Amino acid sequence: MTADLLLGALLAFTLVTAVVTALARRLVTTLVAFAAYSLGLALVWLALRAPDVALTEAAVGAGVTTALFLLLVKRAAREDADAAAPVTARVRPASVAVAAVATAGLLATVPALPAVGDPAAPAFGPATEFYLADAAERGIDNAVTAVLVVYRGFDTFGEIAVVVTAAVAVLAVLGREVVA
Amino acid sequence: MSRAPAPESPVVTTTARVLAPFVLTFALFTLFHGTSSVGGGFQGGVVAAAAVVTLAFAFGVEEAAGRLSPGRLLALVAAAPLVFAAIALAGVAYGGAFLQFDVLPVPKASVYATEAIELGIGATVGAVLVVLFVNLYDTEEAR
Repeated sequence: MTADLLLGALLAFTLVTAVVTALARRLVTTLVAFAAYSLGLALVWLALRAPDVALTEAAVGAGVTTALFLLLVKRAAREDADAAAPVTARVRPASVAVAAVATAGLLATVPALPAVGDPAAPAFGPATEFYLADAAERGIDNAVTAVLVVYRGFDTFGEIAVVVTAAVAVLAVLGREVVA
Repeated sequence: MSRAPAPESPVVTTTARVLAPFVLTFALFTLFHGTSSVGGGFQGGVVAAAAVVTLAFAFGVEEAAGRLSPGRLLALVAAAPLVFAAIALAGVAYGGAFLQFDVLPVPKASVYATEAIELGIGATVGAVLVVLFVNLYDTEEAR
């Protein structure tokens, strides 16, 4: 019961921060609200007992992404004095309608999801049981890490290549040859 | 020395300075404990980069960027692909498949291979984020 209340409160918090993010007039306000939204989402993951995802969401979403956005807003403000000024355009009714329809469409799929921890959920199959048993046998206690590196190592290899590519792309676009 | 126009409040600089060792320690903890508890390379790398970003915000990005060694940063960026490829190919060299860890001739091969890869990932993710941060903060001076 307490857990449900906590989850409900966290979801309400993320909802409010999401709306503030969309409606804020100043970019800096948007960024702060977006960071708060990420933090709320991280706490939701924690409440749903997914601490690995929560840590990533808090560090990447609430932390570093916000820092990068702030940097870019500051840079944009330096190059264009209007960029940091409050946005005067009003929220268009059509945008609200599209957002409402998309939200309703997504909410309509929620009843089709299996309950949290349902043993009949598709995620719990023979493969999952093998991963859990084999990871423990290999001495890796965190099954998330075991899946990422041992069983899905090829994917993770690709992912890290993407991370490196991000740095290469930024340097290439800016026409620089040294990293710092 | 030209610094960021933001005023350097002693509260901010002292806080950043005092926090940095703890944040970096937590980053290393997250990195090394990836196989036994929550965390891993991605998270540890991001936390380490966050420490650098905090210092950069407190002391000015140019000041922080000036203290970075491009060579070392480049080595860190390349760490994960190199470590990953080396360990993956070591599996092949010892008669297994690409990325097969349990044929490696060390005790608890899967654990140590995973930890080595996680350390590499942490180095790359942290360094890439610092590279993005420093480069997206445009300084007008030629580099």
